[in-house]
Amino acid sequence: MGASQTRTEDVFQELSDKTGFSLEQIRILHRRFRQLSGDEDTISKENLEKIQALDKNPIRNQIIEAFFDKRNQNDGEVGSSREIGFQQFVKVMCHFKPPTLKMTTEDKEAMRREKLRFLFNMHDTDNDGTITLDEYRKVVEELLSKSGAIGLEAAKAIADAAMLEVASINVPHMEPHEFYEGITFEHFEQILKGLEMESRMNIRFLDVDTSTMHCGKSQ
Amino acid sequence: MDDLWAITLWGLKTWLYLLLASIMVPAMFGFSLGVSETYMTILVKTLEWATLKMRKNTEGHALKASRSSSLIQRGNDSMEKEFEELRRSRPKQPLGGDFTFSDSFYFTRQGIESIVEDEVTQRFSSEELVSWNLLTRTNNDFHYISLKLTLVYGLGVLIRYCILAPLRITLATIGLSWLVIGTSAVGLLPNGRIKTWLSEWVHLMCYRICARGLSAAIQYHNKENRPRKGGICVANHTSPIDIVILCNDGCYAMVGQIHGGLMGVLQRAMVRSCPHVWFERAEMKDRHLVTKRLTDHVNDKTKLPILIFPEGTCVNNTSVMMFKKGSFEIGGTIYPVAIKYDLKFGDAFWNSSKYNMVSYLLRMMTSWALVCDVWYLPPMHQQEDEDAVRFANRVKSAIAHQGGLLDLQWDGGLKRAKVKESFKEEQQKQYSSMVVGDDSSNSD
Repeated sequence: MGASQTRTEDVFQELSDKTGFSLEQIRILHRRFRQLSGDEDTISKENLEKIQALDKNPIRNQIIEAFFDKRNQNDGEVGSSREIGFQQFVKVMCHFKPPTLKMTTEDKEAMRREKLRFLFNMHDTDNDGTITLDEYRKVVEELLSKSGAIGLEAAKAIADAAMLEVASINVPHMEPHEFYEGITFEHFEQILKGLEMESRMNIRFLDVDTSTMHCGKSQ
Repeated sequence: MDDLWAITLWGLKTWLYLLLASIMVPAMFGFSLGVSETYMTILVKTLEWATLKMRKNTEGHALKASRSSSLIQRGNDSMEKEFEELRRSRPKQPLGGDFTFSDSFYFTRQGIESIVEDEVTQRFSSEELVSWNLLTRTNNDFHYISLKLTLVYGLGVLIRYCILAPLRITLATIGLSWLVIGTSAVGLLPNGRIKTWLSEWVHLMCYRICARGLSAAIQYHNKENRPRKGGICVANHTSPIDIVILCNDGCYAMVGQIHGGLMGVLQRAMVRSCPHVWFERAEMKDRHLVTKRLTDHVNDKTKLPILIFPEGTCVNNTSVMMFKKGSFEIGGTIYPVAIKYDLKFGDAFWNSSKYNMVSYLLRMMTSWALVCDVWYLPPMHQQEDEDAVRFANRVKSAIAHQGGLLDLQWDGGLKRAKVKESFKEEQQKQYSSMVVGDDSSNSD
């Protein structure tokens, strides 16, 4: 009863310091993790696929894949894992933290890049560093209805048009015989430069326990 | 030496018989000796003391009273509004389809929010306790506090496993075997008023013994609304023990599938003394047959009220899930009943994917006790302009409101099955109509 509890508390404290979540939030996330994994130490894709509310989401496969994508762990590895533990789970959640008031502009920039990187990885399914036309088309198809209002041809047309748009912004003087391989991360950032992402790509975590609210950087 | 042995054995035997008699006789005749009440008061006092002790020992932010530990604040804006905002903040593109990467942000965020927290998954795992109730199984986040507490906990383990559990198991076995024997015996009598009266008495007696076997302390409210003959009794479902709880106070006709083994023996014995509605496995699939048999039973005013659990599966007693409309299409008067268990004394939820029946029953018998409240709600009828689904939802809300449970729209069957594809397609349709709609307004 005694020893194992303190060890978990230490792990939580470490995670809290590393990621910037409060201890209380880490505890709640841990409880959720246990719920999803069926009381195991790791989650597999099947565990996430069982979430009913997620089933309504058109890009659910990409979202689930994002959790297992090694690129989102910032370890420098590529590929995808079959199972993740709690630490990796929290690290992915980190990408959705809102910016705190005390952040400097560089920090905000860094956070923005991280979020963009997350989204980029989600679309770049073959891990080659570019979003090709095929991958982009796939996203459009997933988001739009397979059955009803928009047929496959229309979806293809939309994807092509959007791709052209991207190409015209980034490589304005493309020769007719040149082939636009795909959207690199820099291009991606360029397209979304004007978009105010910090408040859009955030999950508003409730700080249940106000006594542990960090003032200043918790890095 | 032998004499001593013989005497102790004899003493033990008489003591056991005396004990059993003092529990069973009151059960048979429906009065109480007050032993369980004293036990409960002592238990409550001990648990309160334990809670206070734990609260004192953890400094500062101790036990949070946040039962609803929701982690995130979900946006309530509709899809259209969110997309408008997303698009407003990016530079206006002249060409074609108004579709960009930023649109996938919305869905990504929704998806992650669902992963962190969703309404349904948490209903199928046991409810969290605010403070430890001195049972090993609920000891998740609680650390070592003090010697006294550990001693009390150890004493509790001893009492529960060595004294209470064997007693309860004996009682339960006696109760069940009595049920089988009694109902078979009554079944031999010719049909008539005596048979009905006897069968009711036998049923009540055996269920009371079973309830003692679980140390159940049940509080019935609004007994004047108790279900009458020719009606349908509808209740929220947490575990198979719900049947014992409800049948302690009245006789019902059960509905269900015939099983093999011990359950089958029980079912066949019970149907001899008074009519229950048992279906073969193949018959269950035929909805018309099921509805017809139930309607016939209900229309016969001499038969006992039917007991149905419309959720279709066991839910963890924090919420009421979607009621299946089948039971509400039969017609007749519906008598709603709300059952709420008190978590402090033992968790009654049967997580059938985690525990099988036998281990579940053993867990029940090694908890402190089973405390629950039963509210009988006034009878409801289907209005003329209401269809079965709306009627079912009305009954469900009434039960949820009375029991202090959350009223959810989700289907309990989601415990095992997946969400229908049509939900996903709805979101896709909504989004694509937005894209196409914008396209037509932007086109040259």
